[in-house]
Amino acid sequence: MTDPMAEIRASFFIECDELLEAMQDGLQAIDEGSGDGETVNTVFRAVHSIKGGAGAFGLDALVGFAHRFETALDEVRSGRLTADGEVLRLFFTGSDILADLVRDSRDGLETDEARISPVRDALDRLVPAADAPGEADTDALDFQPLTLALDLGLDDGAEQQADTATWSIRFHPTRALFESGNEPLFLFRALRDLGALTVLCHDDEVPPLDAIEDPEAPHAWWAFELSTTEGEAAIRECFDFVEDLCQLEIRPLSEAPVIALPDPEALGAAPDAAPPGTAGREPPPEADPAPPPATATPEAGNPGPAAATPRATVRVDLERIDRLVNLVGEIVINQAMLSQSVEAAGIPPNSPVRAGLEEFLQLTRDIQESVMMIRAQPVKSLFQRMARIVREASATIGKEVRLRTEGENTEVDKTVIERLADPLTHMIRNAVDHGLESGEAREAQGKSRVGTVHLRAFHRSGRIVIEVADDGGGIDREKVLAKAIARGLIEPDSQLSDQEIDNLLFLPGFSTADEVSSLSGRGVGMDVVRNAIQALGGRISITSARGEGTSFSISLPLTLAVLDGMVVRVAGETIVVPLNAILETLALGPQDIRSLGPTTQVVRIRERFLPLFDLGAELGYRAPLDDYTGQIVLLIGQEDGASAAVVVDAIEDQRQVVIKGLHDSYGRVPRIAAATILGDGQIALILDPVDLVARADGRTRQPKPATDPKPLPENTGLTA
Amino acid sequence: MALRDQLRIIVVDDMSTSRGLITQALDSFGIRQVESARDGPEALAKIAAWPVHLVVSDMNMPGMNGLQLLHALRSGPATRTVGFLLITGKADRQLIEQGKQLGMNNFVPKPFQPPQLRAAIEAIVGRL
Repeated sequence: MTDPMAEIRASFFIECDELLEAMQDGLQAIDEGSGDGETVNTVFRAVHSIKGGAGAFGLDALVGFAHRFETALDEVRSGRLTADGEVLRLFFTGSDILADLVRDSRDGLETDEARISPVRDALDRLVPAADAPGEADTDALDFQPLTLALDLGLDDGAEQQADTATWSIRFHPTRALFESGNEPLFLFRALRDLGALTVLCHDDEVPPLDAIEDPEAPHAWWAFELSTTEGEAAIRECFDFVEDLCQLEIRPLSEAPVIALPDPEALGAAPDAAPPGTAGREPPPEADPAPPPATATPEAGNPGPAAATPRATVRVDLERIDRLVNLVGEIVINQAMLSQSVEAAGIPPNSPVRAGLEEFLQLTRDIQESVMMIRAQPVKSLFQRMARIVREASATIGKEVRLRTEGENTEVDKTVIERLADPLTHMIRNAVDHGLESGEAREAQGKSRVGTVHLRAFHRSGRIVIEVADDGGGIDREKVLAKAIARGLIEPDSQLSDQEIDNLLFLPGFSTADEVSSLSGRGVGMDVVRNAIQALGGRISITSARGEGTSFSISLPLTLAVLDGMVVRVAGETIVVPLNAILETLALGPQDIRSLGPTTQVVRIRERFLPLFDLGAELGYRAPLDDYTGQIVLLIGQEDGASAAVVVDAIEDQRQVVIKGLHDSYGRVPRIAAATILGDGQIALILDPVDLVARADGRTRQPKPATDPKPLPENTGLTA
Repeated sequence: MALRDQLRIIVVDDMSTSRGLITQALDSFGIRQVESARDGPEALAKIAAWPVHLVVSDMNMPGMNGLQLLHALRSGPATRTVGFLLITGKADRQLIEQGKQLGMNNFVPKPFQPPQLRAAIEAIVGRL
């Protein structure tokens, strides 16, 4: 069994995240002037709740900071302080530090005191010295606990009798009890030995004597009241041998309590209570011993104020969801296999089997979609983190920047959100650092001094799109071009379209900032961002207008569990190529192919020469062919914006496939992203096209003498 | 039967961590008949359906705070005499005085350790 405290602790940190989010929302609302009196209360309560929980777990650093923060917020709550300008900025910083403290406390790390103390001191300065947070008034509070006369059938005087309790026992014998020769009377005697016993036989259903056809059938049942110092176990012991032969109910029966428990009937909350008048033979009414109404709907007919309860939620271990996702994937595969065999069996399309299968298909899709929804989360938490990045970045480089967000409730797979944080952070920093001009430069152009970064999320044709746009100066294409030439990334006489120039930003190591700033750092460029997005099955594109700004658009699949793929055949093997990597497909004519040395060929496509890779040879399924005329090629988009041509034998199909990771069993497999199971039950590898091209040696012609085809995948023993 | 077996308590707190902590502490005292509610209105509704002996409530909650809940309880004929234990992060004189006026049975300042909670409950209902 898991330690309940560890569980509560874990749930505390999850709750902290929710509270921090609520606090961010509140501060944002105050900043935008859309808050009301309750807003500051919400912020205060969030800090207060974090402090309370942290105290219970002995997280002193967190408690200490939350206490100062809370005290400062209380000044606003009580109207002695207005939250605007500097004060509000301090609160934002405070919320960032609080978030750090929560995270560090969770991970058992020390938070950098040098970062905390200036903020803590600044918060202290907001509070007048008189009620500064020392240890609050320690003078004895004049309070005497009010005791309740809570006589629950206990006698406090005599220790011995203190534990006498009254029990209600209901005993319904079954036919088997009598058939096996048990005599209820003996059971009753055993009960009587435990204490004072009242027996009531319910014989209402005993038929008239001449109507009894089966004398061994049970017709009566008994109700007992037993006052005993023995516990429930002793009572159960009396029924030990007939346990399976009867229905037995043993419940504690409280004496009428002195404390006025409301009469359930008066509240209409006991619909199953006996109607008045039939009580004659019933045991005395009991104080309702029913278990807590965990699933009761308190709304139903209760006079209590209508509770505006938030939507009910359950927290579920992610592992369980992933198992479900996996199982649904199995169903999808199974379903496809079943469809194929039904078709192969020659069952006519209008048969009930096919119709049933069609419904099954629809249901499977619905289930798949619903399960994916479970993993989906709004991008809000991600956007809030970006708000912090903007605050910190703009403060570091002294630009005034405002972040506008839109579509915060757009939902994406949780893993996508997590893995988007780093690339998005980088893009936001870039926008603040490189995208936006300085305040003076903006004013000189007649723009508002305050720059704007716009972060937007929305759905478009089954994918999610996230846009990061700034209203800065736009991309200086001449400068980009010059830099690319200076770095030898492109030929000096290259003729590039605007879009091609913009895409140079994605080249490894490219940076347009004249000096490497402390913010964007060196070495991490847009190429890293692009790789991260592509690893998520996404695409990134860029648009820019001189003087008006730059916009990056990321398009992502809604889930990582399925993939749009092109099923191809090469050298007798079936391979799935992710559709998002394929720019174009075409058949090669003899005039398209050019030799470039003895073992290398290139293809000429629209006046450009692209390297030609033979998928069969690269994967080690065959030796390079002598002639590729008539072969199919897939144009694969590369990280540097260039493309490569990959030869396959045939394109079979285009379909959604369920991704089956190989990582757990085989580790990282070069050139291969994952595997899947096709409709006919065949296992197919899913290609990692970018890795394939990066590792390719480009040998597309049989060298002489011929060498052995290289083995692949490397020592995994995997073949499709 | 000990008192702890019969005592029915409802824990009212907007923070699920606190509800968990208090419930866990009560469980360690052997008190098993425990319900919980995330705010005052929910608590009142639940008490109406499942009467309790003692309400253990947080002070600072959205909508209806702990003392407002106490006031609502003391105004209801069925809940007028129910025990009320306030858990508060800010146990200042004014708050406690207010609680006293409303008939608060006892209070526990936050943060507390289980023995403090136990002592505060026993001060109201007697030995558990």
